[in-house]
Amino acid sequence: MVIESKSGTTSAPRGPLHGVRIVEMGQLIAIPFAMKLLADMGAEVVRLESTRRLESYRSDSVYQNEIHGEFWNRGANFYEQNRNKLGITLDLGRPEGLEILRRLISISDVFAENFTPRVIRNFGLEYKELRKVKPDIIMVSSTGYGFDGPWANFGATGPATEGASGLAYTTGYEGGPPVMAEIPYVDYTAGEHTVFAVMTALMHRLRTGQGQFIDVSQTQAAAATIPEALLDFAANGREPTRIGNADPVMSPHGCYPCYGEDRWIVIAVSDDSEWRGLCRIMGREDWAEDARFSTTLGRRKHREQLDCVLGEATANWDSHRLMEALQSAGVPAGAVLDSKDLLFNTHLRERGFYEVVRHHSSTEMPPLPYAGRPWKLSETPAVPPKAAPLMGEHNDWVLREMLCLPEEEVGRLEEAGVIGYSPDDPRPVQRPPLDEQVRQGRMLRYETDFREQVARAFPPPNEQ
Amino acid sequence: MSTTAALEGVSVLDLTHCIAGPYCTRLLAGFGADVLKIEPPGGERGRRMGPFFHDEPGPDTSLPFAYLNAGKRSVSLNLKSEAGREILMSLLPETDVLVENFAPRVMPSLALGYDTLREIAPHLVMVSISNFGQTGPYRDYKASDIVEYALGGLMYIFGAYDREPLKHAFNQAQFKAGTDAASATLMALYHQRMTGGRSGGVGQHVDISIQEAVASGLRDVVNNYTYTGAIRRRQPNHSGDLQRLRATSDGYLLPNPGLGGGLNWDSFVEFLELPELDDDKFRTPSARLVNAEELGRILDEYFIRQSKYERFYGSHERRFIFGVIQSPEEAMNDPQFAYRGFFAEREHLEMGTLIFPGAPFILESTPWETDLQSPSAGQHNDEVLGGRLGLAKAEQAELRSLGAI
Repeated sequence: MVIESKSGTTSAPRGPLHGVRIVEMGQLIAIPFAMKLLADMGAEVVRLESTRRLESYRSDSVYQNEIHGEFWNRGANFYEQNRNKLGITLDLGRPEGLEILRRLISISDVFAENFTPRVIRNFGLEYKELRKVKPDIIMVSSTGYGFDGPWANFGATGPATEGASGLAYTTGYEGGPPVMAEIPYVDYTAGEHTVFAVMTALMHRLRTGQGQFIDVSQTQAAAATIPEALLDFAANGREPTRIGNADPVMSPHGCYPCYGEDRWIVIAVSDDSEWRGLCRIMGREDWAEDARFSTTLGRRKHREQLDCVLGEATANWDSHRLMEALQSAGVPAGAVLDSKDLLFNTHLRERGFYEVVRHHSSTEMPPLPYAGRPWKLSETPAVPPKAAPLMGEHNDWVLREMLCLPEEEVGRLEEAGVIGYSPDDPRPVQRPPLDEQVRQGRMLRYETDFREQVARAFPPPNEQ
Repeated sequence: MSTTAALEGVSVLDLTHCIAGPYCTRLLAGFGADVLKIEPPGGERGRRMGPFFHDEPGPDTSLPFAYLNAGKRSVSLNLKSEAGREILMSLLPETDVLVENFAPRVMPSLALGYDTLREIAPHLVMVSISNFGQTGPYRDYKASDIVEYALGGLMYIFGAYDREPLKHAFNQAQFKAGTDAASATLMALYHQRMTGGRSGGVGQHVDISIQEAVASGLRDVVNNYTYTGAIRRRQPNHSGDLQRLRATSDGYLLPNPGLGGGLNWDSFVEFLELPELDDDKFRTPSARLVNAEELGRILDEYFIRQSKYERFYGSHERRFIFGVIQSPEEAMNDPQFAYRGFFAEREHLEMGTLIFPGAPFILESTPWETDLQSPSAGQHNDEVLGGRLGLAKAEQAELRSLGAI
């Protein structure tokens, strides 16, 4: 990819973080997601893996659900979370492996990890130890509940931290139990805060030359995003009640059925003019005349009746056409996009949100689109996307070019099993066939011509 | 070791309102950036966001506002007036970052588009946060948090299989975008500092889309389609699902049979002290699927007699990774948050002593500044206009009469 800068010269973008080197000992999302976003913007990220303990994102959600051969190089979530990184394998259970990691850290700016503190201490990788190796290192640890404290060594999942933070308690249908997102939602919340934390520490180091330790508690990051609930309790002693999609002020505010199987639209009316626009588009000027609904307070008070009649009126509409009609009348509304809608969404496509990534030829996977990032920097855009590394893909490069180890030494490490190119115990997760997943209700449907549809909509970028 | 703030010397003009923009600049202020909040006369809309202190609405009693704007100074400025805009322009040479979250057509319509600002201050990092970004067919669409959940792809897969899709309570999409905006701000500022800072450094325009903030944080959604052609829906509620939320005598618990990554049925059964589950009917995943209903009933009847904290702590002693659902009150009293000092009493000028949530994370040697006030609208007019810009009292009075401040 080539961009033209304002000065008229052309070059491949290097990103604003060009020159920053990060060693990542991450797993799953919280740290890998954050480091991917930094790698997108030009940081050189070296990601460690173990051949002894296969990361589950390499063994699950495999391309076309085909688990033959080197399935560990075809995992969807591994590709999602590890774009633009270099990958090496290292057995940290061996002194030579740990020594290589320490040498890598000694020539890096940031060390990022999301294991429990117990594991980090066992390897002697706490910040106070790393400072001896690299005095101005920035170390970031992302844990479920924090690096210190009585819960420090408690392992956690995304739903667990969503629960501990107070976020899950406040979410759910009216009168029902708490509901959590069906993704590890707080891992992303924590990852987003981790990017900001690392950037803050890098700014500080740029000015003072000093590194430091960053302690991200995933639960705490999530709690920081629900001041409405926490402060209402602190100031007014009020516990939140679960109110589904309703809003404390706005009405109508909710999710309403549309034409088709499992199709929906959301509508959020905040004032009288939006309300009149809604009545007009729905062809129900009589609602606008109805005294019960004439004020925001009245609509909020009678919201159950309102939701009921509105839901009947939306049910014959196509969700996208209704969204367009409502938006043209100034009413905030959105079609509830399923995964295919989201991928082919015209707005996201025009903005180039999805980026087409070429995979290594050994994977026999075609180029595929992946979600980009929530920012566009006009002068220092993201680097051209490179696929996540194959297992051990950059062993040689990192050890010989970065650490200047002689070729024989690298060969010896491979022979001794300190580095490797495939998992010691390759156990893939075989998902049920798609027909069975549809029967169980886990999938809405599947399409057999998806390869052609994706390739047509997202042609691979031109080779340099 | 340094005792200065991490973002000392960073100067921010904050034209934002409500949540996404103010959270971005709050994060910057919390680590020591000098944030000057420019408010329209009468204050920005976020001052009218509930809940309010003692449920009494007032310009300085909005609790979310107090949280989101601590550590900022406020100057009231009417950007619709020529004189107001001139004051803003005169602040730019000493400013690193300008953050705004108006609808995309607003800044250009005030003659404050990026192309105009960069002529005066080429080093300026301008950050624009909007519902759908600065370009594209939805650019001018209106949204609130629920619309971002729908169009960001998080809502369709959220909630009960046989009901309408659901969103998180409150304003998660706005907070996500605010966090992302703070990160992107510092990436652009890092580049500015590397290229010369406020004298000669390279500024730029940063475009943040709240929709993209949601859509970039999903798992197994779009890639279910690109990898297999399948469209995932809200998962059916499986009564025998081992990781399903279970009601306890005092709330809710998230059991997790995983033990350091792998499932060990026997030790799980032993931990629960449920010999009925020590049976081939339940020992393998396929057997559990066949007997899901019976398994679900046994687990429901078991957990409803348990205390959630007792089982939560017990599980971690055995290295199971159970989760506990905490109410805000329980979170504010849990020993982990207490150890970390996350909730701390603060004196607020209008509201007196109040417990506030603290830093989202700990930067060990450059801590979050906890004891910060949120400003009244225009509280720092004199200080900034008189002090920083050197305007005499008479000039300030004239600006006031022109409706500029």
